[in-house]
Amino acid sequence: MTETLERRPTVGEERGGQERTSLIGTSAARKEDDRLLRGDGRFTDDVDPLHVLEMAVGRSPYPHARIVSIDVSAALEFEGVRQILVGADVRRMSAPLTVLRPVPGAPKLPYYALAQDVVRYEGEPVVSVVATSRAIAEDALELIDIEYEPIPHVSDVIDAQDPEAPQIHPDLVEGNLMVVNPEGTGDPEARIRSADVVVSGRFRINRVTGLPMETRAIVAEWRPGARELTVHSSTQVPHLVRKQLAEVLGLAESDIRAVASDLGGAYGLKLGIYPEDVLACLHAMALRRPVKWVEDRMEFFRATTHAREATHDYRIAARSDGRIVAITNTYATDMGGWNSGFGSAQLSSVVFTGPYKVSDGYVERRVVLTNKTPIGAYRGYGQPEVNFACERLIDQLARKLGLDPLDVRAANMLRPEDLPWRNPAGAVYDSGDYERCLRMAAEAIGYDAHRAAGRGPRADGRYVGIGLSSFVERTGYASARFLANRGSQYGAHESVTLRANRSGGIDLYTGVSTMGQSSETAFAQIVADVFGCDYDAVKVHAGDTAASPLNTGAFASRTLIAASGALKEASEKLRDKTLRLAAYCLEAPAEDVEIAGAVVRRRDTGASVTLAEVFSRAITGQGIPPEEEPGLESTSHFEPTDAAYSFGTAAALVSVDPETGDFDVERFVMVHDCGVAVNPKIVEGQVRGALVQGLGAALGEELRYDAETGQLVNGTMMDYFAPAAPDVPPIELLHTEVPSPVTTFGVRGVGEVGTIPPAAAIANGICDALADFGVELHTMPLTPEVVWRALQEASR
Amino acid sequence: MADEVAVTVTINGETVTDRVPARMHAADFLRHRLGLTGTHVGCEQGVCGMCTVLVNGEAVKSCLMFAAQLDGCAVETVESLATGDQLNPLQQAFKDEHGLQCGFCTPGFLMTATALARRGQRLCAAEIREEIAGVLCRCTGYDGIVKAIARHLDETAV
Ligand code: FES
Ligand code: FES
Repeated sequence: MTETLERRPTVGEERGGQERTSLIGTSAARKEDDRLLRGDGRFTDDVDPLHVLEMAVGRSPYPHARIVSIDVSAALEFEGVRQILVGADVRRMSAPLTVLRPVPGAPKLPYYALAQDVVRYEGEPVVSVVATSRAIAEDALELIDIEYEPIPHVSDVIDAQDPEAPQIHPDLVEGNLMVVNPEGTGDPEARIRSADVVVSGRFRINRVTGLPMETRAIVAEWRPGARELTVHSSTQVPHLVRKQLAEVLGLAESDIRAVASDLGGAYGLKLGIYPEDVLACLHAMALRRPVKWVEDRMEFFRATTHAREATHDYRIAARSDGRIVAITNTYATDMGGWNSGFGSAQLSSVVFTGPYKVSDGYVERRVVLTNKTPIGAYRGYGQPEVNFACERLIDQLARKLGLDPLDVRAANMLRPEDLPWRNPAGAVYDSGDYERCLRMAAEAIGYDAHRAAGRGPRADGRYVGIGLSSFVERTGYASARFLANRGSQYGAHESVTLRANRSGGIDLYTGVSTMGQSSETAFAQIVADVFGCDYDAVKVHAGDTAASPLNTGAFASRTLIAASGALKEASEKLRDKTLRLAAYCLEAPAEDVEIAGAVVRRRDTGASVTLAEVFSRAITGQGIPPEEEPGLESTSHFEPTDAAYSFGTAAALVSVDPETGDFDVERFVMVHDCGVAVNPKIVEGQVRGALVQGLGAALGEELRYDAETGQLVNGTMMDYFAPAAPDVPPIELLHTEVPSPVTTFGVRGVGEVGTIPPAAAIANGICDALADFGVELHTMPLTPEVVWRALQEASR
Repeated sequence: MADEVAVTVTINGETVTDRVPARMHAADFLRHRLGLTGTHVGCEQGVCGMCTVLVNGEAVKSCLMFAAQLDGCAVETVESLATGDQLNPLQQAFKDEHGLQCGFCTPGFLMTATALARRGQRLCAAEIREEIAGVLCRCTGYDGIVKAIARHLDETAV
């Protein structure tokens, strides 16, 4: 074990030209903190324009129903009500919502901002009211008489594929199956036929929500004379919101300014427009008054996209020595009643073989409609789901063969020298040392001692187990050419503008909004490092489409992967011109001057000029070389050539009471590699935060629908149990740092990784503890009741 | 309007008199009447803790109170903590320990911890976790928050 632990990273290490000076790699204080600590953040509901009106939305109480009639007459009479819209109005005034990331090969569904003739999920918007206050708008909703004729519904992804099931979009989709996306290489079926052993299982993944503490919100303001629609929105992608609103409202993009200042969490849920965004704009344009809508928490549970729900049929074929020869995975992923902006999660396919060296593999994604809230993106985007299936089954394989689960993993993992490696889904893993992370996790959790201790109950009567979960995670994504094949409505690049100011500072403009990921900090660190100025001299202006170059946005753990290239280029351009102008002023050749904090100085004499002076000269054009243009500003766009794959292993130490099924996660270790960490403290925060979300989904979070009524059973903050501080088990983090060869500075994405391994690691720990009882778990979330039932089942 | 009530309340040391709708809750009053938007709203059900402020020194969820109930009370919000550009020691501890990411929950934790610190006791990490269980954070996983509060309690214990 020691030998492996000390193995140095071999791939990516020797990359020439890695710029790594003082700031990159340090835990610089966050740019975002002071305003947020002082209550000076600017969240969307903090924006209160004069004369603002407020909107409330009436929603379907049924999962599936025909709308027979809507009578708004009484509500219109209500004092303070300004306007009411119904489906027919919306159809006249706007187009269906556009989709940013379509499901490849699937038909387009005409999702209007208000239901047309049929509602397809509980909570679907049916009518919107604007009034002088939210309270009045809500009271008016009560006066609207809507007659529904319920039709049979279907809630379960497997049931929905039954030929007899109610059809959700009968004119467009047959059998509720949006599309089947197959992928694979080799001949897995032949390998399975000749394999020594085959294990398989059906794994059910729970429907959850990312639950940002700030719900969605929008303030829309229209100045018809100026043809300017200003939209303050809690969105991860202001430039894409602008594009979508232009399409849906029939405006030119130049008519729209989208502003996303601070976001109170997003995690993938705030990607692109929702029906309420369109409604607020329609009302604002019709009324020529600002209109605000802030989602209340009850609405949130039904109106903001859900995530994860899927059923994976996973198979592994292996030789008797544990070497895997083939993997197949056919999974049904729930889409809900409509196609949301980011459709359903697509990355289960991309990483379905995990970190293992398998050439014969097949994965089939079946995208299924149900009468539930649409599914959308959420941190992990399919990767936690498939990790649960794959890693659970690796343990079952080991048990079946009488091998150690750690040895089976190690024997099958791709080695550093195998990389880059194209997996059966076509993903190219860039670099890394997967086994080293596995060994480190095992050592940290005390794996060998646990194995040596032998089986049987502890003194307190509980059985102890250790579970492992190894993973490879796609962060960022390949080029725009790759996206074009899949119909994605955005690019792969990030952009940044740097502009010098007369105070001697640099203004940094980015379309990446601020949602806790600390991009303001990381961006400023890179600029200060490459340019050579003080960190404090860089001021970040984020999330305003009127004041930032057109970019892509903050999702897919991609921001820094793409932006670091743009930041570096833009900083270099700005630096080079600064040096030329300063050299002119110091009467020295440009090679002989350097930027040092707030000044530029001659290396020989030490004579210096302040950046403020150089910048002022550039801006006025006075005192610059005759061949130079005035101004000091640079914009760069950068598109990475490929995705970077993060990796790691988690280990959970779990104790279980075999009488009750009660269990405790006593320790949780995560070893992770995100390449070069620009800011280690931020990296740790990202991993920890995502881990706790992953633990929540593993241990209790679930949006439950009643099969009979089709209604959401636990859609309030009181009934949906996100982890509070006492619920979090002790977490230990370890990192390795193999630079990625496909990114500037060698970074990999880090925002989502924590959501991936918790469920499998804990389930494997429970099953290890209960190995003598023959318990195997296949369902999330893992609760004492689930464990108890599995124990009863096994004892039969 | 007929269903309005008069309130006189001391907010961050300043006395304010206003008329408010009877059904307006205290968080809305602070945010949308007084412009103190540092107090946030995340559920209006008393669960998330985003709206936590101090009323007569006690940490309360202001979404569960009517504005009218503040009459005669002293209210402290997150805006009262810093002096000029100077963060107070608790805020500084949050900054140093990376106790915030999106920052939406931060005012709730800061006010909860402010009340806690006034007790003048040191608490262990597990006790702090119990004390802050009424405020949710979806970003940080709580580790930085607990460390920041522990450090601050150590510094302020009597
Ligand atoms: S808003 Fe008051 S507790 Fe959630
Ligand atoms: S920092 Fe985002 S919710 Fe706590």
